[in-house]
Amino acid sequence: MLSEIVKKLFGNKKSSSATAKNRLKFALIYDKLEISDEILKNLQHDIVEVISRYFEIDRDSLELNINKSKDSSALTFNTPILSAKKRRTS
Amino acid sequence: MEGKIFVITSGKGGVGKTTATSSIGAALAMAGKRVAVVDMDIGLRNLDVVMGLENRIVFNIVDVVQGKCKLSQAAIKDRRINNLFLIPASQSDNKDVLKPEDMVRLGKRLKEEFDIVLMDCPAGIERGFENAVAAADEALVICTPEVSSVRDADRIIGLLYARSITPKLILNRINPAMTANGDMLNHEDVTDVLSIELIGLVEADDNVIVASNLGKPLVMINDSKAGQAFIRIAMRLDGHEDIPIQVPKSGSTFWRKIGSKLGFK
Repeated sequence: MLSEIVKKLFGNKKSSSATAKNRLKFALIYDKLEISDEILKNLQHDIVEVISRYFEIDRDSLELNINKSKDSSALTFNTPILSAKKRRTS
Repeated sequence: MEGKIFVITSGKGGVGKTTATSSIGAALAMAGKRVAVVDMDIGLRNLDVVMGLENRIVFNIVDVVQGKCKLSQAAIKDRRINNLFLIPASQSDNKDVLKPEDMVRLGKRLKEEFDIVLMDCPAGIERGFENAVAAADEALVICTPEVSSVRDADRIIGLLYARSITPKLILNRINPAMTANGDMLNHEDVTDVLSIELIGLVEADDNVIVASNLGKPLVMINDSKAGQAFIRIAMRLDGHEDIPIQVPKSGSTFWRKIGSKLGFK
């Protein structure tokens, strides 16, 4: 205990529990952002369907990705648009 | 009045589910409730040996579900504590022999027979978990102040929320000296990270191992700090929510006092 106080007086070292708490906070956030391949596939299917209602797209060359950086994550969807569909007259 | 089913779960193994189940069950029975503790770890049963009832198993939960025996035949009566019953797991089957629907049906019958039913959930999030949770009205999540355990608890809490169950947390195996030194997550850190209501704090206690060696419920061992903590948790479950949650303190307070005078936590 004495050595602990000395360490705190001179070393100003961060406690390991504070490190643990910080690491946990980030780990839990990232855990929740993790999406299974199946969900991603279904999502891709649905997005393609919606976009295809308005545009001709090349279904084979599209890409769906989740990019994680340090403090944000982004869902990106890349597809070449061949042409706009003509408005349906209903 | 119909009984209530609690599931005791953690995600990670080895954090104290079985100890908590037997201790809280024994404490509730000693308080006059008719209690059944149910070992849901099919294939890896342990609640029986922790409670010292391993020699008395004839039938098990799988036999009850499959209609090979009556519920009353599988429920082993503890001879030391009145009104405490154990329904053991089967050791030879695997978790897929039971389905969540089976457990919902069995849960209804258990609630007719007992005031309180405690389900000792296996580790993991697969079928064993599904089965243990299927019939539960309420849930207790148990974790230790370690990153691996807290992370798994978070996953379990999410799965319970998805089933419209709001669990409460037992923080187990607290080392007060390490917590005071800042080398162990304290209960505020854990409840903050998990955003969950606390129902009890349990200190690390060698008596847990002694009790399991003897096959004796922890709450029957005098002066066991963990045993006392589990008794208080049982009382809170039994409607005495006003019992204050005690934070385990380390023995030598001298340097801690000096430290706090100097402005150290």
